[in-house]
Amino acid sequence: MSEALLKVEKLEVVYRRAITAVQGVSLVVPQGQIIGVLGTNGAGKTTLLRAISGFHGIDDARVSDGSISFKGMRIDNGEPHRIARAGIALVPEREKVFPNLTVAENLMVPAGPRANAAERRRWEAKVVEFFPKLGELRLRLAGLLSGGERQMLAIASALVCRPVLLLIDELSLGLSPVAVDDLMGRLIEIKRELGITVVLVEQSAAVALEIVDYAYVLENGRTVLDGDAARLKSHADIQEFYLGRTSGGTRRSYREVKQYRRSRRWYG
Amino acid sequence: MSRQPRASGHFRTGYAQDLKLVQTPRERWALVALLAVLAALPFLASAFLIDLANQVFLASIGALALMLLTGFAGQVSLGHAGLMAAGAFTVGILAKEIGAPFWITLPAAALVGSLLGLLFGLPSLRLRGLYLAVSTLALHFLVIYCGGEYEARRGYSTGIVIDPPSIGGHALTSGRAWYFVLGLAATGTLLLCVNLLRSGTGRAWAAIRANETVAEALGIEVAAHKLLAFVLSSLITAVTGALFAYYRGFVSVEAFSLFLSIQYVAMIIIGGMSSLLGALLGALFVTLFPYGIEALLGALPGAQRYAGLLFAVNYTAFGLVMILFLVLEPLGLVGIWRRIETYFVLWPFKYRPLAGRPR
Amino acid sequence: MERPLQLAVNIAVLTAIYALIACGYVLIYRVSRVLNLAHGELMMLGAYLLLVTASQFGGHWAAAIAAALGLSGFVGVMVYLFLMRKMTGEMVLAAVLTTVALGILLRGATVLIWSAQQHYPAQRLNITNSAIALPGGARMSLCAALLVATMIFVYGSLFIFLRFGRWGVRMRAAGQKPLLAAQRGINLHIIYAMAWGLSTLIGAMAGMLIAMDQGLDQTMATIGLKAFPAALVGGLDSLLGALVGALIVAAAEVLLIHYVDPLLSEVVPFAVLIAVLVVWPWGLFGTREELDRV
Repeated sequence: MSEALLKVEKLEVVYRRAITAVQGVSLVVPQGQIIGVLGTNGAGKTTLLRAISGFHGIDDARVSDGSISFKGMRIDNGEPHRIARAGIALVPEREKVFPNLTVAENLMVPAGPRANAAERRRWEAKVVEFFPKLGELRLRLAGLLSGGERQMLAIASALVCRPVLLLIDELSLGLSPVAVDDLMGRLIEIKRELGITVVLVEQSAAVALEIVDYAYVLENGRTVLDGDAARLKSHADIQEFYLGRTSGGTRRSYREVKQYRRSRRWYG
Repeated sequence: MSRQPRASGHFRTGYAQDLKLVQTPRERWALVALLAVLAALPFLASAFLIDLANQVFLASIGALALMLLTGFAGQVSLGHAGLMAAGAFTVGILAKEIGAPFWITLPAAALVGSLLGLLFGLPSLRLRGLYLAVSTLALHFLVIYCGGEYEARRGYSTGIVIDPPSIGGHALTSGRAWYFVLGLAATGTLLLCVNLLRSGTGRAWAAIRANETVAEALGIEVAAHKLLAFVLSSLITAVTGALFAYYRGFVSVEAFSLFLSIQYVAMIIIGGMSSLLGALLGALFVTLFPYGIEALLGALPGAQRYAGLLFAVNYTAFGLVMILFLVLEPLGLVGIWRRIETYFVLWPFKYRPLAGRPR
Repeated sequence: MERPLQLAVNIAVLTAIYALIACGYVLIYRVSRVLNLAHGELMMLGAYLLLVTASQFGGHWAAAIAAALGLSGFVGVMVYLFLMRKMTGEMVLAAVLTTVALGILLRGATVLIWSAQQHYPAQRLNITNSAIALPGGARMSLCAALLVATMIFVYGSLFIFLRFGRWGVRMRAAGQKPLLAAQRGINLHIIYAMAWGLSTLIGAMAGMLIAMDQGLDQTMATIGLKAFPAALVGGLDSLLGALVGALIVAAAEVLLIHYVDPLLSEVVPFAVLIAVLVVWPWGLFGTREELDRV
């Protein structure tokens, strides 16, 4: 159950041959788990996901060092549609649905492994079961959906590709806490019933640490910390910088903050 | 502001020195040598070559004008031939209707060019990219139509014949004399462009070309600068058309086809976008191209049967060369030139920029 | 003075011509944001290919037409795979200029291969372009009637395909957000090749019918250029717009030629375009280009 499905080793990603967004990130995604990637804006989390799912030449981005292996095969600098067909589906942060197509049409578009029409319809129906609301909204234009509905559609359309690995970029961004809770519940259901592995990129550590099995913390393109959810939740630095809780309500001394910086250098 | 790599050891210690166009002694000698060769050419070459050189000069002025508009200000124009036709027809009409001499017709052509430039430029305020290109195309057809109508109504169905310009009884007819006139005109245009681009206007255009919205946000008056680009470019182009009319002594609507517009666009693409040197190289290449093809046809055995279809061979070869440049060498002849130049200046180092231009 | 009914018939035929050609421009633009300015020349090539297949298939006009159509679609796909695909990373202007260059190349090549004289494919296929008498005293040639029928058929099929067909929806998706489509497993090259093949095929239909109606020589490519404003007037990414635009331009052209000046033929489409763009900068039904993040 724990063979690595995805392995990223010392990954380096460069934009326009000038900006290194990811410097030497390594992580391992075992099958059947939910892995979190945490960090603030600009940490390189989105770039990491885009590197895994394929760049398509935007902003002259490319993997300049290191490797990404999926099921034992190298996929770095691969083409997005090939990687999607190989079993990795990305739910992007921003452009996640086709706004001028209806919900039903959005679900028609994805291309998964070869299947005849009946099989495909069955699979689509199964996916929609996780999001009954989408069933009611079949004829609505995707651009007119609410934030929560759009996120549901995005996840559903990624699932239609029958992925083995689901990458989600910023699950909770722009959503109400109720919607986030709802989605998280569904995500756990999906993982359990479909046996899909999930990599979840999240700015909100509180949200992520509730459902991930293991997580990596990125800062400025480097991993600074990693561990299972319990360990991270109780880690003093995570509590201070990501969960907003200080020990005893007092501010930490400079020396103690330096300890965090040192551990950063250690991991980076 | 020169972008050429210079050998180390040359330091500019003051603004005045930095602004000079010709800086090192080597550049000075190179310039003198170039001018000497150009000045001696008409006395050494045949009449045919002088005519070729004159055509290249004319094309250069037009190409520089288009480069200003498209390469530097970023406004696509497919109506170049229409503007040249406007200048030519102004000369023709004024010469025929009121017998105006060249020192009236040339400024008149410039005026007509400016007004048309304003007209061509107005769509650019609302339209972007491809829609803008097509609206310039539309205006091209309108101008051609008007020219055609004039020819038809006045019975000049084969074209208007124009007397050569004359000063105090001396008519400008010899190819050699035209060589110096056109050469001077081309040099003057080049200097104008160089200085324009070094000025605030040039920098504003660069900003607009890079990103209009940001330029506007920075306080640059985008609309005014766009119109200025159109007006200046059209003015120069119309004057080119006028000179062309006087040089050939003949004006007719057929000479200003869509293919001519495309040839000018090809000049700036093949020469290399956003580079004045590129405009010149492109003008040289495109003007000499048909002659090269003709010579090639003559040299190849068995190609004689195509001699009658020279224009078709031209089209085919021209399209092919344009495609090759667009696909293989998007930086144009200037790109090739700079690569050679950089190699020699920087040898034995091979400097590769870390953050190069976007591919 | 023509009777009004005849004018209406002329408008209908010209609309069909412009509409068939314009939908080729729209298909490629909508899917790949590239303006295919070689469309007129490719359409002309299709008509010339009919000459070739006509000689091959003797008098069997059905086989000849089918073969020529197949070849045209194939040419469209090849143009994408071997030329336009190389330009996908470059600026759009460079891609458009590549199509312009291709157009010039084709113009020259067709003269070299088939000479500049007029050809008559209808004769080679033993098809007589008889005149059909319509109620009210108007007349219409067989090929002209076929043009109108083809327009209805093509537009109907395209509407159904793009709205309900899986690959039609995928084409629309790829046109809107290519990266997302790729991330959902769609091979964009296949989509673009389909668009180019389909566009050239439909253009060839128009070209062949026009050639059978009026004869064939290099000036046919100019009709392609005149249909371009029709596509723009409607908005370059709307099929319905292409139809409406074709109607407007055709009506303006027929009426102005008839009542004002025959020489206006080449100018009218572009004049209409300017007039429309002044009020609707993106065409009547075009979608406003999204503002990129600055």
